[in-house]
Amino acid sequence: MEKSVKHQTLILANQLGELETIRASLKKLIVDWGIPSSMEFSLNLVLEEAFTNVVNYAFNNGREHQIELCFEIQEGNLVVTITDDGLAYDPTMIPEPDTELEAGKRPIGGLGFFLVKKFMDEVKYRRSENKNQLILTKKLAL
Amino acid sequence: MNIVTIQNGDFLVIKLQGRLDTAQSSIVEKMFLEILDHGHERIILDCEDLDYISSSGLRIFLIAQKKILGVSGTLRICNLQPNIREIFDISGFSMIFSISHDLVAALNPDL
Repeated sequence: MEKSVKHQTLILANQLGELETIRASLKKLIVDWGIPSSMEFSLNLVLEEAFTNVVNYAFNNGREHQIELCFEIQEGNLVVTITDDGLAYDPTMIPEPDTELEAGKRPIGGLGFFLVKKFMDEVKYRRSENKNQLILTKKLAL
Repeated sequence: MNIVTIQNGDFLVIKLQGRLDTAQSSIVEKMFLEILDHGHERIILDCEDLDYISSSGLRIFLIAQKKILGVSGTLRICNLQPNIREIFDISGFSMIFSISHDLVAALNPDL
Protein backbone atom coordinates (compact mmCIF):
# COMPACT_ATOMS: atom_id res chain seq x y z
CA MET A 1 0.00 0.00 0.00
CA GLU A 2 1.16 3.53 -0.69
CA LYS A 3 2.37 5.48 2.29
CA SER A 4 0.92 8.77 1.11
CA VAL A 5 -1.85 10.20 3.26
CA LYS A 6 -5.27 9.66 1.82
CA HIS A 7 -7.72 12.01 3.38
CA GLN A 8 -10.49 14.18 1.99
CA THR A 9 -13.26 16.18 3.61
CA LEU A 10 -16.48 17.44 2.06
CA ILE A 11 -18.53 20.13 3.77
CA LEU A 12 -22.12 19.83 2.60
CA ALA A 13 -25.42 21.56 3.29
CA ASN A 14 -28.31 19.59 4.79
CA GLN A 15 -30.00 19.27 1.42
CA LEU A 16 -30.67 16.21 -0.68
CA GLY A 17 -29.26 18.06 -3.69
CA GLU A 18 -25.83 17.38 -2.17
CA LEU A 19 -26.22 13.69 -3.06
CA GLU A 20 -24.96 14.65 -6.50
CA THR A 21 -21.83 16.21 -4.95
CA ILE A 22 -21.26 13.03 -2.94
CA ARG A 23 -21.67 10.87 -6.03
CA ALA A 24 -19.21 12.93 -8.08
CA SER A 25 -16.66 13.09 -5.24
CA LEU A 26 -16.85 9.34 -4.64
CA LYS A 27 -16.36 8.66 -8.34
CA LYS A 28 -13.20 10.75 -8.33
CA LEU A 29 -11.84 9.22 -5.09
CA ILE A 30 -12.30 5.73 -6.45
CA VAL A 31 -10.04 6.59 -9.38
CA ASP A 32 -7.53 8.69 -7.42
CA TRP A 33 -7.17 6.24 -4.55
CA GLY A 34 -7.31 3.08 -6.63
CA ILE A 35 -10.41 1.71 -4.91
CA PRO A 36 -11.89 -1.19 -6.93
CA SER A 37 -14.51 0.28 -9.25
CA SER A 38 -16.77 -2.69 -8.47
CA MET A 39 -17.31 -1.06 -5.06
CA GLU A 40 -18.66 2.20 -6.47
CA PHE A 41 -22.27 1.06 -6.59
CA SER A 42 -22.47 -0.13 -2.98
CA LEU A 43 -20.42 2.77 -1.58
CA ASN A 44 -22.64 5.23 -3.40
CA LEU A 45 -25.69 3.45 -2.00
CA VAL A 46 -24.33 3.48 1.57
CA LEU A 47 -23.46 7.18 1.44
CA GLU A 48 -26.83 8.07 -0.09
CA GLU A 49 -28.72 6.19 2.63
CA ALA A 50 -26.63 7.53 5.50
CA PHE A 51 -26.63 11.15 4.26
CA THR A 52 -30.37 11.09 3.48
CA ASN A 53 -31.04 9.86 7.03
CA VAL A 54 -29.14 12.81 8.49
CA VAL A 55 -30.88 15.34 6.24
CA ASN A 56 -34.32 13.92 6.98
CA TYR A 57 -34.06 13.22 10.70
CA ALA A 58 -31.32 15.23 12.38
CA PHE A 59 -32.72 18.73 12.04
CA ASN A 60 -36.01 20.30 13.02
CA ASN A 61 -35.37 24.03 13.01
CA GLY A 62 -35.57 24.71 9.27
CA ARG A 63 -32.12 26.31 9.27
CA GLU A 64 -29.17 25.45 7.11
CA HIS A 65 -26.68 23.12 8.74
CA GLN A 66 -23.35 21.73 7.68
CA ILE A 67 -22.76 18.02 7.34
CA GLU A 68 -19.15 16.89 7.10
CA LEU A 69 -18.10 13.82 5.18
CA CYS A 70 -14.55 12.74 5.82
CA PHE A 71 -12.98 10.02 3.67
CA GLU A 72 -9.79 8.29 4.79
CA ILE A 73 -7.77 5.20 4.06
CA GLN A 74 -6.66 3.58 7.32
CA GLU A 75 -4.77 0.29 7.34
CA GLY A 76 -6.36 -0.95 4.15
CA ASN A 77 -9.84 0.21 5.12
CA LEU A 78 -11.92 2.98 3.63
CA VAL A 79 -13.33 4.93 6.58
CA VAL A 80 -16.06 7.49 5.98
CA THR A 81 -17.07 9.65 8.95
CA ILE A 82 -20.27 11.66 8.71
CA THR A 83 -20.56 14.43 11.29
CA ASP A 84 -23.55 16.71 11.90
CA ASP A 85 -24.68 19.08 14.64
CA GLY A 86 -28.28 17.88 14.65
CA LEU A 87 -30.44 16.19 17.26
CA ALA A 88 -28.99 13.09 18.86
CA TYR A 89 -29.86 10.35 16.43
CA ASP A 90 -28.37 6.88 16.44
CA PRO A 91 -29.31 5.09 13.21
CA THR A 92 -27.66 1.87 14.37
CA MET A 93 -30.61 1.52 16.76
CA ILE A 94 -33.17 1.38 13.92
CA PRO A 95 -34.83 -2.04 14.13
CA GLU A 96 -33.91 -4.37 11.28
CA PRO A 97 -36.70 -5.16 8.82
CA ASP A 98 -38.07 -8.69 8.63
CA THR A 99 -36.95 -9.64 5.10
CA GLU A 100 -38.90 -12.91 5.21
CA LEU A 101 -42.34 -11.31 5.25
CA GLU A 102 -44.65 -11.62 2.26
CA ALA A 103 -45.38 -8.46 0.26
CA GLY A 104 -48.76 -7.77 1.85
CA LYS A 105 -47.21 -7.71 5.33
CA ARG A 106 -43.96 -5.87 4.54
CA PRO A 107 -44.02 -2.36 5.97
CA ILE A 108 -43.08 0.41 3.54
CA GLY A 109 -39.60 1.75 4.29
CA GLY A 110 -36.99 0.82 6.88
CA LEU A 111 -34.54 -0.61 4.37
CA GLY A 112 -32.10 2.28 4.02
CA PHE A 113 -29.95 1.79 7.07
CA PHE A 114 -30.31 -1.97 6.85
CA LEU A 115 -28.51 -1.76 3.48
CA VAL A 116 -25.80 0.44 5.03
CA LYS A 117 -25.09 -2.25 7.63
CA LYS A 118 -25.18 -5.04 5.05
CA PHE A 119 -22.68 -3.41 2.71
CA MET A 120 -20.19 -2.05 5.28
CA ASP A 121 -17.87 -4.09 7.48
CA GLU A 122 -18.36 -1.87 10.52
CA VAL A 123 -20.88 0.86 11.39
CA LYS A 124 -20.30 2.85 14.55
CA TYR A 125 -22.22 5.77 16.05
CA ARG A 126 -20.80 8.29 18.48
CA ARG A 127 -22.35 11.33 20.13
CA SER A 128 -19.81 13.84 21.36
CA GLU A 129 -19.74 17.61 21.85
CA ASN A 130 -23.37 17.85 20.68
CA LYS A 131 -22.54 16.24 17.38
CA ASN A 132 -23.56 12.98 15.75
CA GLN A 133 -20.77 10.96 14.22
CA LEU A 134 -21.34 7.94 12.08
CA ILE A 135 -18.20 6.00 11.23
CA LEU A 136 -18.50 3.64 8.28
CA THR A 137 -15.68 1.21 7.55
CA LYS A 138 -15.17 -0.96 4.49
CA LYS A 139 -12.24 -3.32 4.02
CA LEU A 140 -10.44 -2.76 0.74
CA ALA A 141 -8.60 -5.55 -0.99
CA LEU A 142 -5.85 -3.22 -2.17
CA MET B 1 -34.34 9.05 -14.97
CA ASN B 2 -36.42 8.25 -18.05
CA ILE B 3 -39.59 6.22 -18.05
CA VAL B 4 -40.93 4.65 -21.24
CA THR B 5 -44.26 2.81 -21.26
CA ILE B 6 -45.24 0.33 -23.97
CA GLN B 7 -48.46 -1.67 -24.19
CA ASN B 8 -47.50 -5.23 -25.14
CA GLY B 9 -50.50 -7.54 -25.41
CA ASP B 10 -52.15 -7.65 -21.99
CA PHE B 11 -49.20 -6.04 -20.29
CA LEU B 12 -48.10 -2.50 -19.79
CA VAL B 13 -44.31 -2.62 -19.97
CA ILE B 14 -42.63 0.18 -18.03
CA LYS B 15 -38.98 0.66 -18.93
CA LEU B 16 -37.03 2.39 -16.17
CA GLN B 17 -33.89 4.04 -17.49
CA GLY B 18 -31.16 5.61 -15.37
CA ARG B 19 -30.93 6.02 -11.61
CA LEU B 20 -33.79 5.49 -9.19
CA ASP B 21 -32.40 7.35 -6.20
CA THR B 22 -33.67 9.68 -3.49
CA ALA B 23 -33.63 12.62 -5.88
CA GLN B 24 -35.80 10.85 -8.47
CA SER B 25 -38.08 8.82 -6.27
CA SER B 26 -40.95 11.26 -5.78
CA ILE B 27 -41.34 11.77 -9.56
CA VAL B 28 -41.32 8.04 -10.21
CA GLU B 29 -43.71 7.34 -7.34
CA LYS B 30 -46.17 9.89 -8.72
CA MET B 31 -45.97 8.32 -12.17
CA PHE B 32 -46.51 4.83 -10.80
CA LEU B 33 -49.55 5.87 -8.83
CA GLU B 34 -51.02 7.58 -11.91
CA ILE B 35 -50.57 4.42 -13.98
CA LEU B 36 -52.19 2.29 -11.30
CA ASP B 37 -55.03 4.79 -10.91
CA HIS B 38 -55.66 4.46 -14.65
CA GLY B 39 -56.64 0.85 -14.02
CA HIS B 40 -53.56 -0.94 -15.35
CA GLU B 41 -53.41 -4.23 -13.46
CA ARG B 42 -50.88 -6.20 -15.51
CA ILE B 43 -47.52 -4.53 -15.43
CA ILE B 44 -43.94 -5.50 -16.26
CA LEU B 45 -41.10 -3.37 -14.98
CA ASP B 46 -38.27 -3.74 -17.45
CA CYS B 47 -35.07 -2.82 -15.58
CA GLU B 48 -32.59 -3.44 -18.40
CA ASP B 49 -31.46 0.19 -18.30
CA LEU B 50 -31.95 0.76 -14.59
CA ASP B 51 -28.40 1.44 -13.40
CA TYR B 52 -28.91 2.19 -9.71
CA ILE B 53 -31.49 1.89 -6.98
CA SER B 54 -31.56 2.95 -3.34
CA SER B 55 -34.07 2.30 -0.57
CA SER B 56 -36.26 5.12 -1.85
CA GLY B 57 -36.60 3.21 -5.12
CA LEU B 58 -37.26 -0.10 -3.36
CA ARG B 59 -40.02 1.66 -1.45
CA ILE B 60 -41.79 2.48 -4.74
CA PHE B 61 -41.51 -1.09 -5.99
CA LEU B 62 -43.12 -2.33 -2.76
CA ILE B 63 -45.91 0.27 -2.93
CA ALA B 64 -46.64 -0.83 -6.52
CA GLN B 65 -46.66 -4.50 -5.53
CA LYS B 66 -49.06 -3.89 -2.66
CA LYS B 67 -51.42 -1.89 -4.90
CA ILE B 68 -51.35 -4.52 -7.65
CA LEU B 69 -51.94 -7.34 -5.16
CA GLY B 70 -54.85 -5.33 -3.77
CA VAL B 71 -56.63 -5.52 -7.14
CA SER B 72 -55.47 -9.11 -7.83
CA GLY B 73 -53.31 -7.87 -10.69
CA THR B 74 -49.89 -9.01 -11.87
CA LEU B 75 -46.56 -7.26 -11.47
CA ARG B 76 -43.42 -8.76 -12.95
CA ILE B 77 -39.87 -7.47 -13.00
CA CYS B 78 -37.30 -8.38 -15.62
CA ASN B 79 -33.71 -7.69 -16.72
CA LEU B 80 -32.35 -6.77 -13.29
CA GLN B 81 -28.67 -5.83 -13.44
CA PRO B 82 -26.47 -7.87 -11.04
CA ASN B 83 -25.87 -5.02 -8.54
CA ILE B 84 -29.58 -4.37 -8.30
CA ARG B 85 -30.39 -8.07 -8.08
CA GLU B 86 -28.03 -8.25 -5.09
CA ILE B 87 -29.99 -5.48 -3.35
CA PHE B 88 -33.24 -7.33 -4.08
CA ASP B 89 -31.75 -10.49 -2.57
CA ILE B 90 -30.49 -8.75 0.58
CA SER B 91 -33.80 -6.95 1.09
CA GLY B 92 -35.90 -10.07 0.64
CA PHE B 93 -37.49 -8.49 -2.44
CA SER B 94 -36.45 -11.43 -4.62
CA MET B 95 -39.04 -13.49 -2.74
CA ILE B 96 -41.92 -11.03 -2.95
CA PHE B 97 -41.64 -10.19 -6.64
CA SER B 98 -41.96 -12.31 -9.71
CA ILE B 99 -38.58 -11.76 -11.37
CA SER B 100 -37.87 -12.92 -14.91
CA HIS B 101 -34.57 -13.11 -16.70
CA ASP B 102 -35.73 -11.03 -19.66
CA LEU B 103 -38.79 -9.42 -21.20
CA VAL B 104 -39.73 -12.47 -23.29
CA ALA B 105 -39.80 -14.61 -20.15
CA ALA B 106 -41.79 -11.98 -18.28
CA LEU B 107 -44.41 -11.86 -21.05
CA ASN B 108 -44.56 -15.67 -21.31
CA PRO B 109 -43.73 -17.13 -17.88
CA ASP B 110 -44.96 -20.59 -18.93
CA LEU B 111 -42.54 -20.95 -21.84
